[in-house]
Amino acid sequence: MSAPKKRNFQIEAFKHRVVVDPKYAEKTWKILEHAIHEIYNHNASGLSFEELYRNAYNMVLHKYGEKLYAGLVMTMTSHLKEIAKSIEAAQGALFLEELNRKWTEHNKALQMIRDILMYMDRTFIPSAHKTPVHELGLNLWRDNIIHSSKIQTRLQDTLLELVQRERTGEVINRGLMRNIIKMLMDLCGSVYQENFEKPFLEVSADFYRRESQQFIECCDCGDYLKKAEKRLNEEIERVSQYMDVKSEGKITNVVEKELIESHMHRLVHMDNSGLVNMLVDDKYDDLGRMYSLFCRVPDGLPLIRDVMTSHIREIGKQLVTDPEKLKDPVDFVQRLLDEKDKHDKIISLAFNNDKTFQNALNSSFEYFINLNPRSPEFISLFVDDKLRKGLKGVSEEDVELVLDKVMMLFRYLQEKDVFEKYYKQHLAKRLLSGKTVSDDAERSLIVKLKTECGYQFTSKLEGMFTDMKTSQDTMQGFYAAMGADIADGPTLTVQVLTTGSWPTQSSSTCNLPPEILGVCEKFRTYYLGTHTGRRLSWQTNMGTADLKATFGKGQKHELNVSTYQMCILMLFNNADGLSYREIEQATEIPAADLKRCLQSLACVRGKNVLRKEPMSKDIAEDDAFFFNDNFQSKFYKVKIGTVVAQKESEPEKQETRQRVEEDRKPQIEAAIVRIMKARRVLDHNNIVAEVTKQLQSRFLPNPVVIKKRIESLIEREFLERDKVDRKLYRYLA
Amino acid sequence: MGIQKDRVRLNVGGKIFETTATTLAIAGRNSFFGAMFDEDWNLQPGSPTDHLIDRNPDCFAVLLDLLRTGELYIPSNIPEKLLYREALFYGLLDHVRSAKWGPFDGNRLRLSRSITGRAPGDGTAIRAGPDGGCCVAHGSMVHVYDWMLDEHPAINLDYQRVNDAGWIDSDSIVISACERVGRGDGGMGLFSASTGELRYKFNVTHDDQVKSYTAGALSFSSDDKIFSSCKGRSNEYGIGVWDQTTGKQIDFFYEPPAWSLGDADKLQWLHGTNCLLVATLFPRKDNCYISLLDFREKKMVWSWSDIGAPVFDEGLLDERRVRDAIAMEDTSSICVVNEYEDLGFMDLRSTGGSVRWSSRSRLMKGKMPDEPCYPKLALHEGQLFSSMNDSISVFCGPDWVLTSRLRRSYGGSICDFSIGGDRLFALHSEENVFDIWETPPPPIM
Repeated sequence: MSAPKKRNFQIEAFKHRVVVDPKYAEKTWKILEHAIHEIYNHNASGLSFEELYRNAYNMVLHKYGEKLYAGLVMTMTSHLKEIAKSIEAAQGALFLEELNRKWTEHNKALQMIRDILMYMDRTFIPSAHKTPVHELGLNLWRDNIIHSSKIQTRLQDTLLELVQRERTGEVINRGLMRNIIKMLMDLCGSVYQENFEKPFLEVSADFYRRESQQFIECCDCGDYLKKAEKRLNEEIERVSQYMDVKSEGKITNVVEKELIESHMHRLVHMDNSGLVNMLVDDKYDDLGRMYSLFCRVPDGLPLIRDVMTSHIREIGKQLVTDPEKLKDPVDFVQRLLDEKDKHDKIISLAFNNDKTFQNALNSSFEYFINLNPRSPEFISLFVDDKLRKGLKGVSEEDVELVLDKVMMLFRYLQEKDVFEKYYKQHLAKRLLSGKTVSDDAERSLIVKLKTECGYQFTSKLEGMFTDMKTSQDTMQGFYAAMGADIADGPTLTVQVLTTGSWPTQSSSTCNLPPEILGVCEKFRTYYLGTHTGRRLSWQTNMGTADLKATFGKGQKHELNVSTYQMCILMLFNNADGLSYREIEQATEIPAADLKRCLQSLACVRGKNVLRKEPMSKDIAEDDAFFFNDNFQSKFYKVKIGTVVAQKESEPEKQETRQRVEEDRKPQIEAAIVRIMKARRVLDHNNIVAEVTKQLQSRFLPNPVVIKKRIESLIEREFLERDKVDRKLYRYLA
Repeated sequence: MGIQKDRVRLNVGGKIFETTATTLAIAGRNSFFGAMFDEDWNLQPGSPTDHLIDRNPDCFAVLLDLLRTGELYIPSNIPEKLLYREALFYGLLDHVRSAKWGPFDGNRLRLSRSITGRAPGDGTAIRAGPDGGCCVAHGSMVHVYDWMLDEHPAINLDYQRVNDAGWIDSDSIVISACERVGRGDGGMGLFSASTGELRYKFNVTHDDQVKSYTAGALSFSSDDKIFSSCKGRSNEYGIGVWDQTTGKQIDFFYEPPAWSLGDADKLQWLHGTNCLLVATLFPRKDNCYISLLDFREKKMVWSWSDIGAPVFDEGLLDERRVRDAIAMEDTSSICVVNEYEDLGFMDLRSTGGSVRWSSRSRLMKGKMPDEPCYPKLALHEGQLFSSMNDSISVFCGPDWVLTSRLRRSYGGSICDFSIGGDRLFALHSEENVFDIWETPPPPIM
């Protein structure tokens, strides 16, 4: 501001000051102050609201708002100091009661004071940026009562002690507790947090740390979990009874941390009662409790999952590698299924059907089933067993159930093509010997395999079924065409099998007896006459025959034998005794098969239609065989089985393996070519990775084999190595 | 006595009133009567004695009728101001305000009052407050009126030229002003509507440095954000975003090349799409730029400009020139207006479309007043308002039919208008006067 210029004359402003009684403000305030005293002293009945309201109004109107406000703060403060003293003086248990009573009174007084000062609250306070009366009253209560040095710690200790007493089982006055804590929450700022919640959480952490230590020393895992669950529920209930809802998450965190997180490894691995024991003993309740408690803490569920996984892998490994358990394939697979059922039930009952647990279970099974290279064979044998006899008299739904379980195991297999090989063999045997129980079940399984692995996987299996059907029709046609021509001869049933659809076996033919040969030739003529351009060859190793035989004492039997055995027995129509070499010469049956046939004809008790010299278990090349006139059997029909290996023998296994490997070669090559055609240039590691990915639905290709296939393709000029970077391959179109 | 228990006898300034506690309870707990009859105060209704209230009996009669009927009738012998003061004493001012005028309907508006101010020069903007008050920007001053149309202390931001003003709530006004070269003043400030005090000044920071700036058009979002078009010293043009509660700058959308944001005339927050409409219009720039900004993705999601629009002849150019724009979320379109008050529409759902003009009011052409004001648009509850010269047109319905026209005889062209608090305020350019239009309370039957 610039300095005022010197003026020659001055005009006095016309001042007309309205002079209010100088003592007016003081007098009015005294009235109001007195009223506030009376309100605090429960003596308000003599007060006139209208008068007090008008006085407060007038003070604000005449610009004494500041004085009114300051007076209010002072008066209320002095009253609160008095109240503080009376609360401090309260002894023992009365302390909280007194605090609660005074708080209720203060609230009521505050409401009345606010009523009187309503006009100030509405006009003066907003424009002067003061704290509104109600909030002011709460703030003063906080500063003078709660934060008073003699009350603050005492209040905190009292509240915490009550909680502690409740934890040890005493009954406390929850209503009072609720009121006091509600008061702390009503006060602005972080009064509740600072004066109650924070120390409460600290004390609770201490308490549960000590208690958990005590529990873990003397309880087993199941009991510990029960106690922890109980404590957790107690705390949640406590919060709902008399604390701020926001505290629930915090206190449960504390309990979770102290009771569960700090001890979770010890709990899971506890001797004789830990997770593994619970799994073994199917303790669904305990497991469920463990799951629901552990899912509250970080890394809780992964811990359970890891322990469960390693446990399953361990028992699975034992199961698939124990030579004792490998003796019976059906039993072996049944054990796998039982193990799967057991753990499925645990996951559904106790682990809330948790997806991650299901995945862990699946990966564990996948891991150990593939540890045993014979798993595909065994699973196929299991199916074979079920489809041969196991499903008799079982309802359709149950059949489906069994098949679904088998499919589940099938899914775990890495070498699905090996399974296919065995399945095909077993299916062929079932079909040719007419042993399938249910066509529907067979087809249903094939449909399942098709959805799982695609059309290619099952096309040949379906072809086998078609062949069976066609053969039936062909035979009908044959007999209709021949009519009386062949009525006298033996009845011939031919199954025409498409080459390729069926498991190929070395077609070692034998010399058929002339009676049979005649009918066979007729059939050949008939068949080639109706289907031109085809070739028929006889798979004598797979046929069966029913023979009628009359023994020494005139007793008649029907012998059910294989084609080979039939050939041998027919020789004895013309001779009573024959040497091994003679039989071999006459029939030309391969030595191994011949020995097996003779063994079953001569060495099995109750089925020994032939007699061998010398009498021994094994067939030697210089043995001699005689028609056993003394043969006796209770049954009219005698089934002479070949000694067929149910399980494959070691050399057969090698052979199958060989064939599987051989079949894989073109598949791997096809995959390589497909990939390279799309990519043109690719390095070795990526090819291996992509081939593995493409083929993993059928089998897990060996990288060494892939490498060999790549080399072979380079040799045949499908691919070439990059001239600069030897790790790169190029596709040659 | 039964029924009589409710009865209350009041002696107001010597005049006896008999009423019921039920009627007085309508005033609510936060009023003189609510407190008086609370059980804390030993005043039982039905007690035989009169309760003395040392106030004006005539005004009390009006207010008692207000409590009885919910309607306000002020006899001519009672000054409005006196009644308002009495209502304030009893804590009934809110009741009076809500009974004073009815819910807003653009087709039933009546001129309530005209207020003449003392400000020199042309008005810049008028903004309606949420509870019936308004503020008027003239040059570097903003005059504030409450709903009783009492003027409060005027507001200025370093006495810099005010570009826009807006209400955050019934006691907070934000003002955007020009920056003075080298002084670091101007920009944007938050003021108390009742006292005129500056409460907060908003900063703009670029690269962690506080820069002075000129704030232009303002808009407020429903999630407590303030948007303003900004021009900085060193070409920092764009849209600034601040948080209403913390006052901190939380975002800045820089102007892309060959586009205009920092000079924008109009910002409009679109609640449904979470986007901001930014319009820069002739004559601030030679061309018009309208765009929608999505701040979450920092993207311009829709844009339109008349750059490169075919020019047939000079006359047609003016006709195609957009003078104001407003987004209408219900129909996903933008309404624009040219200087002859022709409305045009654009589809918000596809970018790069053209304006569909509805040639309606060519009549205006040729008879423009000496000092024309460019049209402005406003949208309120499905009614579209457009100011043109000395009148405001109201359009309704899906095809925006002209349904009403508000006009007053003096004051010259309307340079700005605003709707809020169930009132419409229109600011005239020639004389410093603004009109308040209200919808009368609903009819008795």
